[in-house]
Amino acid sequence: MPQLAIDNLSATYGKLAVLKSVSLAVEKGEIIGLIGPSGSGKSTLLRVLVGLLKPTAGTIAIDGRPVDFGKAAEVRAVRDRLAIVFQQFNLFQNMTVLENVTIAPVKIKKRAKGEVREEAKELLRKVGLGEKLNAYPDELSGGQQQRVAIARALALKPEILLLDEVTASLDPELVSEVLDTIRLLAAEGMTMLIVSHEMGFVRELSSRVVFMADGRIVETGTPGEVFETPQETRTREFVSKILRH
Amino acid sequence: MNYTLQYGQVLPYLGYFAGGALLSLQIAFLSFCGGLVIGTGFASVTAFGPRPLRVLVKVYVTAFTNTPQLVQIYFLYFALPDAGILLSSYQAVLIGMTLNAGAYLTEIQRAGFLSRRQTEMEAAEVLGFSRWQQIRYVILPHIAKVLFPPLANQYILMTLGTSMAAVFGVEELTGRAFNVNAETFRSVEIFSLVAVFYVVITFAATLALALIGRLAFRARMRIL
Ligand SMILES: Nc1ncnc2c1ncn2[C@@H]1O[C@H](COP(=O)(O)OP(=O)(O)O)[C@@H](O)[C@H]1O
Ligand SMILES: [Mg+2]
Repeated sequence: MPQLAIDNLSATYGKLAVLKSVSLAVEKGEIIGLIGPSGSGKSTLLRVLVGLLKPTAGTIAIDGRPVDFGKAAEVRAVRDRLAIVFQQFNLFQNMTVLENVTIAPVKIKKRAKGEVREEAKELLRKVGLGEKLNAYPDELSGGQQQRVAIARALALKPEILLLDEVTASLDPELVSEVLDTIRLLAAEGMTMLIVSHEMGFVRELSSRVVFMADGRIVETGTPGEVFETPQETRTREFVSKILRH
Repeated sequence: MNYTLQYGQVLPYLGYFAGGALLSLQIAFLSFCGGLVIGTGFASVTAFGPRPLRVLVKVYVTAFTNTPQLVQIYFLYFALPDAGILLSSYQAVLIGMTLNAGAYLTEIQRAGFLSRRQTEMEAAEVLGFSRWQQIRYVILPHIAKVLFPPLANQYILMTLGTSMAAVFGVEELTGRAFNVNAETFRSVEIFSLVAVFYVVITFAATLALALIGRLAFRARMRIL
């Protein structure tokens, strides 16, 4: 049974149909590279998965249990298991690095503060920020902020991690430090959906690549299949255009 | 220039001036606090309230931010007795300054209340924060930080504005300067000394507020 099963999922912004009957099954430990032109609905798919946007049709099942996004308790349960990191880090500006990482486990999960702090420090060391515990977000580089955001997401011990263009707004020299952090998680077997324009990275890390265009999944395959021998014209066009750059 | 400065003649009044400065501080503090209560309530109305109430608040703010404060206090002091409401000059000044501050503080806070950070709230939401927790941990600290510097600035302006009370015979710092001037005619000495008093009380307030802002909200504020 797939850990995450997306079945005929549709979503709209107002009248605009943004996801059109998307289906995707993700096994535990898989790393899905989600690629596609800007505006194709990649972010929207992730936003629906974490309950920021209600689907208009279709189902999402986690470990075989369909989620009812109309019920607050079920949305909360989903958010316990899925974590998302955004392009724009979105750290809490009024909190230190350590507070950013500990606040959800302490205030939301009501876990013991001391234990959470130790775990958070460990996580921050892991992403290379053990020295920045008491810094504020605006004192950090973009790459450092993004790694804090990843640590913050991991502090809730999610089973599936969604990464939405987490390197897209970073200066080129800061990209690799964030990618290294993600490699580390991949090595630990975390299930991930990664939206990225770093094609080399997607290719290296993904167990499967999903190409989306215009709100639909156009093609799915191994990195080799999608990048070397794409079956669909749109995939071919996208891949050749993006690899040329 | 054959005028010789004789500070010696006004030095005996130092304590008297200090007492006046305290009264100035008291007027500033009370009217600021009153204005803050009005401003917070009315800013909430303009940011989140129903339209008819928003219009009423708008009328109040427009009226008080577009007329001189002196005229507003004159109105309270001289017009209200006709309506059977008799105010002492101190009361008229305090009420006038409070209403005036309320209007400005409404304006200042309205912008702050609307400067929510959608993205931070989304981040909080997906971490499992309830609506109330988002307000408590994300929105309010942000608003406090954004608003602290302009509020502190307004407080300093109001401290200086208290000198207007002298016109109505309130014996705060400027009022006492008028009194001593009438006795000694040492205007230059008196008003330069009083200016120093104002510098001291506003600078002390600026420092204290900058320190509070820095420690409590990490707000960066210019001191000089
Ligand atoms: N908040 C929003 N309101 C209205 N339309 C939106 C919003 N966010 C995205 N869209 C539209 O939805 C479509 C898909 O956007 P998105 O999922 O962000 O694409 P991608 O992440 O693949 O670039 C685009 O046409 C975009 O303009
Ligand atoms: Mg996107």
